[in-house]
Amino acid sequence: MFEYALSVMIFLPILAGLAMLLFPISRGASRIAGMIVSLVVLLMGIELFLGFSGTGGMQYLENRPWIESLGIRYGLGVDGISLLVLMTSAVLFPMVFSIFTTRKKGYYANLLIAQGSMIGAICATDLVLFYIFWEIMLLPIFFMIGIYGGPKRLPATLKITIYTIAGSLLMLAALVYVGVSYHNQFGAWTFDIVQLGALNLGGGFAVLAFFMFMAAFAIKIPLFPFHTWLPDAYTEAPTATTFVLSAIMAKIGVYGVIRFVVPVFEIEFARFAILFSLAGVVGMMYCGLAAIAQKDMKRMLAFSSASHMGIIAVGVFCMNVQALTGSLFQIAAHATSTGVLFLFVGLMEERMGSRDIGDLGGIAYRAPIFATFFAIAMLASVGLPGTSGFIGEFLIILGAVKFNGFIGFLAGTSLIIGVCYMLWMFQRVFFEKTNERTLQFADLKVSEVLTFLPVIVLIMAMGIFPQAFITKIEPAAQLQVAQIFPTTQSDVAETTVLTPGHTNTKN
Amino acid sequence: MHDFLSFLPFLIIGAGAILLMLLSAFEKIQVEIASFVSMGFFGAAFFAQLLVGCGPEASLFAKVFNGMLVSSNFTMVAGLIILGCGFFTAVSSHSYFKVNLFCTLEFYCIMMFAACGMLLLTMAQELITAFIALEIMSLSIYILVGYDRANVTATEAILKYLILGAFAGAFFTMGTALIYGGAATTKFVEISTAISSGSASQPLLLAGVFFVFVALLFKAAAFPFHAWVIDVYEGASAPVTGFMATALKTAVFAVFANFLALSGELHSGWITFLFWVSVLTMFGGNLVAIGQSSLKRMLAASGIVHSGYLLIALVAISADHFTGSAIGYYLAAYAVSTLGIFAALSYLGGEGEKRATFDDFKGLAKVRPYSAAAITVFLLSMAGIPPTAGFMGKFYIITSAISAGQTALAVLLVVSSAFSMWYYLRLIINMYFHEAEDSFESIGSPLAGAGTLALVVCVFAIGLYPIVL
Repeated sequence: MFEYALSVMIFLPILAGLAMLLFPISRGASRIAGMIVSLVVLLMGIELFLGFSGTGGMQYLENRPWIESLGIRYGLGVDGISLLVLMTSAVLFPMVFSIFTTRKKGYYANLLIAQGSMIGAICATDLVLFYIFWEIMLLPIFFMIGIYGGPKRLPATLKITIYTIAGSLLMLAALVYVGVSYHNQFGAWTFDIVQLGALNLGGGFAVLAFFMFMAAFAIKIPLFPFHTWLPDAYTEAPTATTFVLSAIMAKIGVYGVIRFVVPVFEIEFARFAILFSLAGVVGMMYCGLAAIAQKDMKRMLAFSSASHMGIIAVGVFCMNVQALTGSLFQIAAHATSTGVLFLFVGLMEERMGSRDIGDLGGIAYRAPIFATFFAIAMLASVGLPGTSGFIGEFLIILGAVKFNGFIGFLAGTSLIIGVCYMLWMFQRVFFEKTNERTLQFADLKVSEVLTFLPVIVLIMAMGIFPQAFITKIEPAAQLQVAQIFPTTQSDVAETTVLTPGHTNTKN
Repeated sequence: MHDFLSFLPFLIIGAGAILLMLLSAFEKIQVEIASFVSMGFFGAAFFAQLLVGCGPEASLFAKVFNGMLVSSNFTMVAGLIILGCGFFTAVSSHSYFKVNLFCTLEFYCIMMFAACGMLLLTMAQELITAFIALEIMSLSIYILVGYDRANVTATEAILKYLILGAFAGAFFTMGTALIYGGAATTKFVEISTAISSGSASQPLLLAGVFFVFVALLFKAAAFPFHAWVIDVYEGASAPVTGFMATALKTAVFAVFANFLALSGELHSGWITFLFWVSVLTMFGGNLVAIGQSSLKRMLAASGIVHSGYLLIALVAISADHFTGSAIGYYLAAYAVSTLGIFAALSYLGGEGEKRATFDDFKGLAKVRPYSAAAITVFLLSMAGIPPTAGFMGKFYIITSAISAGQTALAVLLVVSSAFSMWYYLRLIINMYFHEAEDSFESIGSPLAGAGTLALVVCVFAIGLYPIVL
């Protein structure tokens, strides 16, 4: 029955979303329908997760020819790299439907389409198929920000759309270049990522193609200095969209680098890894400092999210098992912590009509449960031991130190910035004096508590028993790193051969 | 028999045109029925073309025409596109002329004659035949452009188009004469052998080919011969503009590709020229399109950009094994989305096309969500967003460009598409992100709406099942 599980997880939400748009149904019905669909996807995701054996290879494969003349296939699969990303997108969506009850039909429909296309992008093993889902996933975001966003939504929409589409189009050209190179080297057309790994690229065009791929992903992550669309888009988007953007879409950028760039461009990747990891570290610091200065909570969280994406990116570019595992783990951790913080801010905005830090204060006295939940998510986001954030960041920094002491040092220290803005914001919003605005703040309702509780438990569980998750992702990470390392290790081998008196070359 | 069958679609359309002409001469039927008649003939010809299919490349009636007409896979695809365009143009005209009452019976008859010329043009393998076909097509189109005699902009448009088009025709004949002087033949095949054997006189050939290119580039609206497009498209009525933008372009690119593909020497000699023409066409078109406030003008300018993309496909064709699949596919993808937009415009434009600018379509999604969604699909297809036909078309063009070693062109295409997002998104933004100020009353017949829906289906069907390749 699980033969087509991935296809169902992709197309059930998409079709449900389209049907919702086409047929006139009420907003309540559309919310319930969306909720049911997302719960079905969640259950399938859990089943998938439990059944996943963690051997490093792809599972739940689906592979059918699609456009034969160009070797494009409808190929889906999940491995340790995509598993947690897939899980985040399955776990988080039901929350949105449960919390935001007053939105319009189109809003829920767009959310469903976003979910389906994101799962598609995560599961695709064919570059062209990935690209198609990658582009589709922008459309619901475009409509959600543009139709349901804040007062300055138009410029924000244009910025994110043109920015990301420009990146994607560059990737399209690079992707075709990769396919054509494969055709030239092996005489057959394919865009299957496993087969493309055999490709041996070199020369100026390969570097160019590498940068074109990286541009697309760097914009989506967003990696410094491609982050300028982020504050506006995150701030102006309705909360659920910001949540989707930060918790899942940004992660797909990181995931794309690991899945599609590393296997094809091993040499270029190893060559420019230091550059990109520096960009990650600089982004961490820059966005962290910018977050301190923000007055708007959502905008602050936007910068904080970008800052944390920086460390995840650093983990990817360190090219060792610890850092990669850490990044994959942190993807889920960040989605559950920072992502959920966005939801909390959305709730606060809905209840009090403001999200300016200056307007708020003393919420903790009025709403203790809310404050506790918020505190847990916040502490996970700054990486307190015992929460999920700690494990990921620890592993990444461990790997970063192994890769390059300087980068490791910078990454480790800039985490402190995160603590600064988060705790300071928490103090100003949840403690200090209550004012007339916050006085009316009602604590979480039972339904809301039930919605958030699983995620809060998940944050703690991932922090205390990380092994359950790491065993699933580590084999895949090892496999991935082993792919890059033959090149770098052979370089090392060559240098040792050159030492005098100690040679194993034939004389 | 095969000759006859391959020729059948042309005969059907020709017979239909003559029948309509006679009927209109005796004023036997109404305008509305004429549109159904032409729809019927276009549909019949389309299915005839589809059923006959095509074998390998074959010269039609070699004894009679002496190898002037050749049918192949590529001509069949181009023929199908042209016939489809004709059909949907008839559908949208039907609605359009319910409100804009300047149509007479001859309209449909002339449109079918234009389609005849186009079909002939795709099959032409000889310069004089190509010229005759080109003129049959152009003369009919001139009339269609200026059909609304009371309208000043239409009159302006036809004047501009006629004078410039006549120049282009003159260039074509001039080029033919020079080529004949150089190679002592007007057949594509023999020109190619003359070139490769080195027996041709180089200066004459060079000049001749250049003049032919000028004429074809003019018809295809490529830089620097693109200036007429904007005014002509704006002046013509919406269905006619759609017909021009799609069917005419298909025919011109088909003959262009046939001419280029026959000789490897010819192709490689002109590759640098075409390279720059395509780059300038893409970016010139984009620059023009970005500044437009009228929808039809924007679509005209975006048509220039798409001509640039098609020129890239021309640069990338290989003379050794020419299939034209990238060109054919892109033409089909472009045709369905462009026709779709013009079909929607012809029933949303209102009386006298009063809604013409971007601002006029503000809030359309609030009032007419399905129409707005259809237009969005067409725009996304033109912009090349998956999973629409336009995306696959662009994908094939990029693939063929990189395969031919034109990586720079592929990158420039991508950059140009990024620019073009601006004006496609602008309309989507206007339709969705603003409040409605207009009531967008439903006019005309539901036929145009049905046609639009069919075209939406086509956009996805062509995108998801690229059968052409």
